[in-house]
Amino acid sequence: MALVAAIFPSIESSPDFNKLVESYPDVLKSLFGIAEGGDITSGAGYLDVELWSFMLPLLVLVLAIGSGARTFAGEEDAGRLELVLSYPLRRRDAVLAKGAAVAGEIVVVCVAAGITILVFDPLVGLDLSFPRLASALMSLAALGLLFGWLALAVGAAVPSRTLAIGIPAGAAAAAYLVSGLHELAGWLDPFRVLSPFWLVGSSPLQKGADGWGVLAVVVAALVVLLAGSRLVERRDLEAP
Amino acid sequence: MSDPGTPLDDGVAGPGESPEYDRSVSAPPAIETVGLSKTYGGKVRALVDLDLRVERGEVFGYLGPNGAGKSTTIRLLLDLIRPTAGRVSVLGLDTRTDGVASRRSVGYLPGDLRLADRLTGHEQLESLARLRGRVDETLRDELCERLGVILDRPIRQLSRGNRQKIGIVQAFMHRPELVVLDEPTAGLDPLLQNEMRALLRETAADGSTVFLSSHSLDEVQHVADRVGIIRSGRLVDVDAVESLRERSLRHVTITFAEPIDPSAFGSLDGVRVVSVDGPVVRLSAPETAMDALVKSASRHAIADLVSQPADLEEIFLELYREDDDGR
Repeated sequence: MALVAAIFPSIESSPDFNKLVESYPDVLKSLFGIAEGGDITSGAGYLDVELWSFMLPLLVLVLAIGSGARTFAGEEDAGRLELVLSYPLRRRDAVLAKGAAVAGEIVVVCVAAGITILVFDPLVGLDLSFPRLASALMSLAALGLLFGWLALAVGAAVPSRTLAIGIPAGAAAAAYLVSGLHELAGWLDPFRVLSPFWLVGSSPLQKGADGWGVLAVVVAALVVLLAGSRLVERRDLEAP
Repeated sequence: MSDPGTPLDDGVAGPGESPEYDRSVSAPPAIETVGLSKTYGGKVRALVDLDLRVERGEVFGYLGPNGAGKSTTIRLLLDLIRPTAGRVSVLGLDTRTDGVASRRSVGYLPGDLRLADRLTGHEQLESLARLRGRVDETLRDELCERLGVILDRPIRQLSRGNRQKIGIVQAFMHRPELVVLDEPTAGLDPLLQNEMRALLRETAADGSTVFLSSHSLDEVQHVADRVGIIRSGRLVDVDAVESLRERSLRHVTITFAEPIDPSAFGSLDGVRVVSVDGPVVRLSAPETAMDALVKSASRHAIADLVSQPADLEEIFLELYREDDDGR
């Protein structure tokens, strides 16, 4: 991420870069969130494309899904839930507590990303708007929360680490593609509202994230977590 | 966290009240199961129609060969798995509706103990104590010292026996009213096995109840008051240990100075002549017949005598030969 930011000055000083980018095929522009009228030689436009369009969400999601899957499905798989759940606590409370821990990790990562960007801002002249950076980080955290909690909830509902990773990873990939390609493939268009990536909005550093969209994704994440905390009560714990 | 609407049947106090009251005559049994059954995946019948009652203050041995349903029963007691039919109550509380409350006064040592490998023993016990809410720290430190628990090394570096010790401490450290132990002496050396038995007897003397599973009769008979025997998911017998011991078989091999006529042994109660090979006679005999057997044998010159406990599966074969339909 630091590397991406450090390269910025060389891009900023080459106005031809915009022309180059504009000549990209529409599919690429659409996927990488190169907005109509966006400017990749501005700091915000540059980071939107280089970080927010793919790399940063990928990083946060890998971490969130890994953490969500590890904390319940992984622990059950390793046989470590046997002792813990024999203690006087409700399973659903255990799931919620683990959900809070996953959320904590996601917040730490997003704050760290924000601090890194803020440190580089004056150094390489990114000239970012702080409220937009904050909203961009929130949209990132919301996405992490949704897929991280989905991994936790799947692991709580069924005793399978494979599904706890596979289902959220597959859902995230599908949602990413729908959000990136719906404008080009007309038949995908109605499905865009199902994609959390579309809901939080693209190019958040240039346009600001969609506040209602972020809220909707957080609400969806809560629903998923609560569902997981209910479903875990209905099944047998796997023996170590 | 106990539900204000918790029904306390017959108006007796549940656990969490004063210990004097709990262990009074009117207290509900430590464990009661009614028609308890567990079927996995719709076909594997791990437990069939179990009716079991374990009274307060007794050490109950739960005996059966591997795969008989011992761990299934224990995991049902702790609400880790849910019954296909029937119900379980622990310390008077239904495990399905009052699981949290019932587990508050239970200590559990899993048969296959998995701890947090990265933590040290001390950190692991601290983290479990936080989860438990209240523990008796004096008792915990006492137990750690008594068992020689290694507290300052990461658990991943510890041997199986040393991990087991941490498991034992966490099962006892909150002075539970019921301790459930699944094959607790596995991995412990004989010295510690003795320490463990002493601990179990002290626990029972304090008025708590011990539910102890094992696949070895010898391990259980020195500590348990009563023994339940489970086989292929069915409880085949519940008995006082003494009467079980009467039926517990020994393998006796006597080498005489010269070949003898073994028919005299066959007339002793419960004794069976298994094979005769020159001067070597192999017999199976219940413990109660040993005196008569040795006296009868001593009429001849004896070169050697070996007596060994038969394993559980053999005792089953002997006891339940008539309804033996395989494993």
